[in-house]
Amino acid sequence: MNGSSPNRTLVRLSAWSLLPSVGFIVILWWFTQPSVEGALVRFVNSMLTSFTLFSFMLLVVLFTYGDARKRPIAPMVGVFAMVAISTGLTVFFLSQGDFLMEANASVRAQYLSNIIRFGTTVAAILVSAVVVGGTLLASILNSPPKVIHFEEE
Amino acid sequence: MEEAMQAFVFFWLAGLVFLLGSLLAFFSKEALRRKAGLAMTVVGFVSLLATPWTLSFSPSSAFGHLLGSVLGPSVLLAVGFYQIAFSGHVPVGRLSKQDRLLGVVMVIVGVVWFEAMHWWSLTPTYPSGVNPYWLIFWPTMLLFGFATATGAFAFVGVVGDRRLREQRLMLVVAGFFLTLMVLGATSDGPSIERERFVSELLLSAADLFGVLVGASAAVVLFFLVVLVYERQQPEPTTLAPPTAEQLERATATVAHHISGGKEA
Repeated sequence: MNGSSPNRTLVRLSAWSLLPSVGFIVILWWFTQPSVEGALVRFVNSMLTSFTLFSFMLLVVLFTYGDARKRPIAPMVGVFAMVAISTGLTVFFLSQGDFLMEANASVRAQYLSNIIRFGTTVAAILVSAVVVGGTLLASILNSPPKVIHFEEE
Repeated sequence: MEEAMQAFVFFWLAGLVFLLGSLLAFFSKEALRRKAGLAMTVVGFVSLLATPWTLSFSPSSAFGHLLGSVLGPSVLLAVGFYQIAFSGHVPVGRLSKQDRLLGVVMVIVGVVWFEAMHWWSLTPTYPSGVNPYWLIFWPTMLLFGFATATGAFAFVGVVGDRRLREQRLMLVVAGFFLTLMVLGATSDGPSIERERFVSELLLSAADLFGVLVGASAAVVLFFLVVLVYERQQPEPTTLAPPTAEQLERATATVAHHISGGKEA
C-alpha cells in the first residue's frame, strides 16, 4: 500500500468513486435541463428504506456475532430498537401529508413500493459489481506471475 | 386464496425467505444451516420469478418479470468472468484454455444481450409498456458501474503494486459505462426516448445517493451499538507471569519440537 495516511487514502478513494459520477450528472442536467420533479422525494424515500432494511440485515448478522460472544441479547436489543425507530420514522414521514407520497394510494402501498424499488437498485448494483469486479479479477489472475528480484547481500 | 394473501405469500414472504436464506447461507458457520439457507434462497427466488404467473393481477409482479428478464445475461456475465479469471495463473484447479474462450464468449453475449434490451426489441415489456423497474434498473446499473470503475481505478492504484494494466482496464470499463449513458441521453432507443432516459438517470442518481446515505447511517449506528456493548464488557482477568518452573517446562517442550524428538 502507498505511504499516505489512511484518512487521505479514504478521501482519495471516495473522491474517485463519487466525483466523476456527480460531475457527469451535473453536466447532463446542465445540458438537458430535464424535469427533476420527484428527485428529492426519491432520495428521501430511498434513504429511509435503505436505512430500515440495512438495519434489519445487520440485526440478522448479529446472530452470528451473538454466537461468537455467547451473550447476544444486549446488542440485539440495541439494533432492534434502531430498526423499530427507523420503521417508525418512515411511517411517520409517509403519513405527514403528501411530501413523501408518489403515485400510491396509501402509506402502506408507498412503503411497499419503496422496498421493491430498493430491491431493483440492489439488483442493478450487484450486476454492475459483477462486471467491474469480474473484469478486475480476470485481469489480475491472467497477468504473468511477477518475479521478485532479491538484491544480493 | 384472497388476492392480498396471495401477494403476501408469493411475493413478500418469498422475498423475506430469500433475504433470510441468503444471509444464513453467507454468514452461518454450521454446514446444515448454510444448506438450509441456500434452499431458502432458491425457494424464495423461484417464487419471486414466478410472480408474473402467480400474481398477474398485482403491479409488484413487474419486479419478478424484471428479475426473470435480467437473469440470463447476469448469469452469463458472472459465469463468463469466473471462467476467464480461473483459467489464468491460479495454482490449484486451473480451468483450460477452452474454458477461457467459452468465458469470453459468454461475457460478450451477456453484454450484447443487455445492450439489446435498451437498443433493440429485447426491452422487458410488462404488462403492455416498458417494465417500470427496467427504467430503474438500467440507468442505475450504468451509473453505479461508472462510479465503481472509477473507484476501482483509484483502489488498484492505492493497494496494487505495478498494476498499470488493471488501472487502464478500469478506465476502459468506466469509459464504456459513460459512453452508454451518453448514447442513451443523446439518442432515442426503440422503446425508451432520450428525455425519458435522462430523467430516469437523474432519479437513479437520487436513489443511489439515498441508498448510500441510509446504508452508511445504519452501519455507523450498528458499530456504535456494538462498540457501546463491547465497552461495557468487564476487563479480561490478567494472568500472573509464568514461574521459573513453567518457563523451564515450556523451553523443554519447544526444544523437543524443534529437534524433532531427538535428544539435543
